[in-house]
Amino acid sequence: MAKWGMVIDLDKCTGCTACTTACGMENNRLPGENWQDVLFYQEGEFPSGTMKWFPRPCMHCENASCVEVCPTRATYKDPEGGLVLIDWNKCIGCKYCMIACPYGVRFYTDEKAPIQPDVKQVFKGDGKRSWNPPWRAPENRDDWKHGVGVQPNGVVSKCTFCYHRITKAPKGTPDLDPNNPALREFTPACVVTCAPTARFFGDLDNPNSEVSKMIANQRGVRLRDHTGNKPQVYYLTGGAGGAIPTDRRDKKS
Amino acid sequence: MSNNASTMAAPSGLVNTVFLAGIAGAVISVVLVLASLMGEGHASFNTTSDGVVWGLPISNYLFFVIMSTGLTFVAAFGMVFGIKEFYPVAKRCVWLALATLLAGFASLAFELGHPFRMLWALPTSFQIYSPMNWMGVLYGAELVFIVWKMQKLNAGDWDSGVSKKLGMASFVAAILAVAMLGSVFGMMAMRPYWFGGMIPMYFLLSALLCGVALTVLISYIAYGFERNSMPPAMQDLFKGTTSTLYASIPVVFGTVIGITLVALTLRTATGLWSHQDGFQAFNWMVASPWFTIEAIALLAAFVMMMNPGMRAGQGAQIGAAVLVLVAMFIDRYLFVIGGQVVPVFKGAWVSGFVDYTPSLTEWMLVVMSISLCLAIYAFGEKKLRLTDAPSS
Ligand code: SF4
Ligand code: SF4
Repeated sequence: MAKWGMVIDLDKCTGCTACTTACGMENNRLPGENWQDVLFYQEGEFPSGTMKWFPRPCMHCENASCVEVCPTRATYKDPEGGLVLIDWNKCIGCKYCMIACPYGVRFYTDEKAPIQPDVKQVFKGDGKRSWNPPWRAPENRDDWKHGVGVQPNGVVSKCTFCYHRITKAPKGTPDLDPNNPALREFTPACVVTCAPTARFFGDLDNPNSEVSKMIANQRGVRLRDHTGNKPQVYYLTGGAGGAIPTDRRDKKS
Repeated sequence: MSNNASTMAAPSGLVNTVFLAGIAGAVISVVLVLASLMGEGHASFNTTSDGVVWGLPISNYLFFVIMSTGLTFVAAFGMVFGIKEFYPVAKRCVWLALATLLAGFASLAFELGHPFRMLWALPTSFQIYSPMNWMGVLYGAELVFIVWKMQKLNAGDWDSGVSKKLGMASFVAAILAVAMLGSVFGMMAMRPYWFGGMIPMYFLLSALLCGVALTVLISYIAYGFERNSMPPAMQDLFKGTTSTLYASIPVVFGTVIGITLVALTLRTATGLWSHQDGFQAFNWMVASPWFTIEAIALLAAFVMMMNPGMRAGQGAQIGAAVLVLVAMFIDRYLFVIGGQVVPVFKGAWVSGFVDYTPSLTEWMLVVMSISLCLAIYAFGEKKLRLTDAPSS
């Protein structure tokens, strides 16, 4: 069984937000409610201030706090691929998971539109879906048990690592490489679209997968590792050399 | 011990007014809330995925359900611990515990995305790791015990084995429920402003504070703000002229305000002192004008209850009760919002705080809870002989 994970090379990421757009199209995201967001922020002040950016999907944490707090088990860890998913049939919209996620990756659609005009009013929902985007995927791809499709009202959603694509990949595939025509269809949309090839997707439990090697050889780091959530998304920051220990309980070698 | 000592007084005209105002407030607010929820859905709230996701309706829920626990404590002074001086307020407190619990639940029900789904999804899934799940179980238990106990009291059964056990069970369930509610926040290590095993203790302490304050306010309302028309034992309780020094309202009230002030001061100082990421929320908190109001209100109430010339006075007690209730309403708000003002993720770099001002619909839920609480209380005052107490 795979433990799917992502590697994002920050040295290659140009902040173009193509991933955000691809994810929005693939998963019918509302403008401004991006499962795959790129955050922009400033560091320093004039004249030496710089603008930085940071791509941030759901980390599909190993110790996912969102799973533990969910009173209805609507948010769960999928045993097949190690994904964290939401069952929209069970979610009661208590939003505790949004409180407990250290990475701010979850969305409750039933709120004021962050970007005007409110497209929910332009493409009104049918009661089942919170809105009716003109480009949405075929009906039979809706999969509420895994939080795939147009988000219904009153529930929380987040990145699924493109559950509907990756679960179709042949079992045992170490890496879902979009450059391999046989695997492209099964690779998460953001990885497929990333122009500078900053994103990689593969099996973290397989030591021979490209992602495992990259994490090992290029010192992949995880965001806010002190929370103990153990994200399955790793970032490469270019540095070779010593690494800051992230968990004091790790064995000395 | 004979039951139903006849301390029954006709409800004051004020109670009728409170009843009518409560009904009117509840009807108007529920209609307005339903109209906006059916029109816009939860977009009528000002909560957002990027910022504050638990807003005023949640802090309002906290205010009422925590107060419910406090009222159970005050009732338990007499009914569980046998401090007879507190008998005159015991039955009223049990009924108020129910009123506040329902008022709080109502606010939560309108806040949830799928309140009806909750009814089956919670018990069938039963996530043992989720403090929210346990909170639901324990508040459910508290509700059942209180209703049952109230039914016993109303039948004049104060001291049968079952009635006593129910009093004990409500007391224990109330403690555990509010402690678990504290853990809903206290277990969130990723939000340092909330984190800590002592948060449930703070909830318990402030529960008692709110419970005593509401007991004081409502007791005076029940007698039309005329202490002289209270039964003699009740007058003693409020004047502090009971035979046991500690068993009096001014002593208990003053002490609990004092301890709460110490707890709040130390929590604030600790938060401001530390540089841990996420503790910036304490800077946000003290910069808020609401914090100043809360601090002044609590201090004023404390001074009133410490001043020997004032604390037994009717005016000072009513004033202190109102000040404490306002302060604690603010406290719940600052607590709930404060845990979310540092953007979870962005907060690591940017010093900006999340903006949040409750919408009219959210305020209407507050009006609804207050009105419901008052209407349910006044209904009990009119129909359920809340003044009853065992005669010895
Ligand atoms: S990033 Fe947040 S939502 Fe995603 S698995 Fe981790 S805790 Fe859950
Ligand atoms: S909002 Fe839904 S998914 Fe999130 S904790 Fe509540 S029930 Fe679970």
